[in-house]
Amino acid sequence: MAARKRGSTKASPPPSPETTTTHQIEPPIAPPKKALIFKFSLFFSIPYFYLLYQHYMIDQDLRRPILINAALCVAGFFLTQRMIPVASRYVSKRGLFGFDINKKGTPQGDVKVPESLGIVVGIVFLVLAILFQYFNFTADSNWLVEYNAALASICFMILLGFVDDVLDVPWRVKLLLPSIAALPLLMAYAGHTTIIIPKPLVSYVGQEVLDLGWVYKLYMWLLAIFCTNSINIHAGVNGLEVGQTVVISSAIVIHNLMQIGASSDPEYKQAHAFSIYLVQPLLATSLALLSYNWYPSSVFVGDTYTYFAGMTMAVVGILGHYSETLLIFFLPQVLNFLLSLPQLSGYFKCPRHRLPRFNPETGLLTGTRDGTLINFYLRIVGPKSEKSLCIHLLFLQALGCCFCFMLRYFLAGWYK
Amino acid sequence: MAARKRASAKPMPPQTPETTMAQIDPPIAPPKKSLIFNSAFSFQSHFYLLYQHYNIEQDLRRSILINAALCVAGFFLTQRMIPVASRYVSKRGLFGFDINKKGTPQGNVKVPESLGIVVGIVFLVLAILFQYFNFTADSNWLVEYNAALASICFMILLGFVDDVLDVPWRVKLVLPSIAALPLLMAYAGHTTIVIPKPFVSYVGQEVLVLGWVYKLYMGLLAVFCTNSINIHAGLNGLEVGQTVVIASAIVMHNLMQIGASADLEYKQAHAFSIYLVQPLLATSLALLSYNWYPSSVFVGDTYTYFAGMTMAVVGILGHYSETLLIFFLPQVLNFLLSLPQLSGYVKCPRHRLPRFNPETGLLTGTRDGTLINFYLRIVGPKSEKSLCIHLLFVQALGCCFCFMLRYFLAGWYK
Repeated sequence: MAARKRGSTKASPPPSPETTTTHQIEPPIAPPKKALIFKFSLFFSIPYFYLLYQHYMIDQDLRRPILINAALCVAGFFLTQRMIPVASRYVSKRGLFGFDINKKGTPQGDVKVPESLGIVVGIVFLVLAILFQYFNFTADSNWLVEYNAALASICFMILLGFVDDVLDVPWRVKLLLPSIAALPLLMAYAGHTTIIIPKPLVSYVGQEVLDLGWVYKLYMWLLAIFCTNSINIHAGVNGLEVGQTVVISSAIVIHNLMQIGASSDPEYKQAHAFSIYLVQPLLATSLALLSYNWYPSSVFVGDTYTYFAGMTMAVVGILGHYSETLLIFFLPQVLNFLLSLPQLSGYFKCPRHRLPRFNPETGLLTGTRDGTLINFYLRIVGPKSEKSLCIHLLFLQALGCCFCFMLRYFLAGWYK
Repeated sequence: MAARKRASAKPMPPQTPETTMAQIDPPIAPPKKSLIFNSAFSFQSHFYLLYQHYNIEQDLRRSILINAALCVAGFFLTQRMIPVASRYVSKRGLFGFDINKKGTPQGNVKVPESLGIVVGIVFLVLAILFQYFNFTADSNWLVEYNAALASICFMILLGFVDDVLDVPWRVKLVLPSIAALPLLMAYAGHTTIVIPKPFVSYVGQEVLVLGWVYKLYMGLLAVFCTNSINIHAGLNGLEVGQTVVIASAIVMHNLMQIGASADLEYKQAHAFSIYLVQPLLATSLALLSYNWYPSSVFVGDTYTYFAGMTMAVVGILGHYSETLLIFFLPQVLNFLLSLPQLSGYVKCPRHRLPRFNPETGLLTGTRDGTLINFYLRIVGPKSEKSLCIHLLFVQALGCCFCFMLRYFLAGWYK
């Protein structure tokens, strides 16, 4: 369930001072895969700028903070990219490294890969998010409360994620951690706790709008716990954790832009703008991490990253009031969770790692009978190399997001 | 400057799995409950102030008491979690050896480090939960409260990252300024200072608007408070002890200001401060029960940064930062004494601790520029425990001096 590669970390003692520390300087990590990121950014910026400038008449007032935020994010991207190699040395020195299980039996399986680099992403994200408050022109008091509560929740989650990476807390505690970190969010949530009944069901329910009260807060809380843990368990392949976050974040940004453009309600626009201000930094810093984490991984992200990413997306979904849409973006994660339930609940035997089996000769991964989306997919399409498997899964993720957009488009008039 | 005992931590390799099974770390010593019980007596003065001396509103009093009740729960929770966390922390190689016991058998005991993380997490949980129970909240309060939580949480994160990764000391100086940013953004108060009456004729005005200079001052105060506790350290129980003394003084000051004032906004500011200092005090007492001489656990930079930031936060958002600085008088003195070495003017060793004599068990002051050494050179060699008690007494004296100063200058000063 957790960062799968740490299985071998504790078995390997760090060098003692007399013999090796001075002779055995850790080799620097491989350079970032800049081409990959550049291609993605180019691809993404097309719909981004199109929506922002052409398709919708987005208010100057709203467009300016979004672009300032984007500029900050570009700076954040380069800062993260510079800090990751630096942090890798400190993290390795401290014994926070792992061995790539999916390369066991090949020479690369003996390389010590620095772990928990999510801490760099988390800290840069927080700095960006904190600094952005200075530049936001359309602020009001309620916005500030939610923003600071969001920062507190995300910061607490990064802290708990890093504590988990360092101290390796028992998995039952891990399940609880997001519930504590989500509390500032719940306290600050000043929005409605009502849901709009889909038109076809109104006759059954009897009302158009149903006030759920505390049940809605409970749902928000469970959503935070779900998002953080679901990214954590849909993992184990180089670049998968960061990749899925990048795909979902891009979809979120596009969704936010579309909602800002298509709506005339200022409060509604504010909610989606709020979401953009937090997802853009997530996207930018994650891209920087992906440039090192993509196959073959030079660094591992750790639970710090998966918890941070999951919490950030839960936060924006809740405070942006589009959590149902967010859940559909998370369709593969939901599928993975359902597939995992029998093993996680203890009904079936649950091994430490539920990864596919790696064959060092062919270099291919084969699906086992473990209940994960990765294994399920491999059993359907047959053995695949790690890189192409990851690309397939990310494509699946993107398909899920497109499906969501289509669903909203077709059901728009009919549904709400 | 940092947690002094970690000098020996890194050369010790953690055990390989084959030996781990055989060599289970011994559990840490039980907490020194009597010490805490005795210090709890001192809080009688709080109850006196809260109920007798002042007629504090029912609403406000109720919120303060609910906060106190939460804090009592937090105290016991922290006390329970520290031994649990100690095992995890030791397993990870986060331990140190007590330099001030080097040469004695106790100098070879592996003391778990960075237990400030337990205090920090429990504090955050208490502070987050308290929002539900506060009856006197308004939207501006919520902004400041959440900004305070974000700042303190960020500082705990940076402190723990420092404990684990051991960041260079230049970076350590900058960290608090980043963590203080949410605070500065959310600070919606006045940026004016009230000129002391004797100086009004020189300045020409009664009230001076400082604008961004005031925000700069706030940022520097945060950097100062966090680092000053960090460098006035090195004795068993000193870091937590000084925090407990200052926090108690802060709570008394807050209660006195709430009781004596008629301005609602002023009362709110001091109540705000109490809601954050009480949890700090309670969780710190729990940590002290393990950290007091002889220390079973070390607190790490996580704790000193967390404590310093929390006190800076409440001083800033409670609008009594000048009073806070006078509570920090020993820390200011220590900082001034340290300046020549920290600035590089005089050679600065890794640890600037007093010299320990294993035969006599006494500490002797060296020529290093710290308050600890300065004090030892004045009063002569002392045992670690009595030195710590002396220094905490000096801290308390400083706080009493502040109260007296406020009392005598009250009418004359403002």
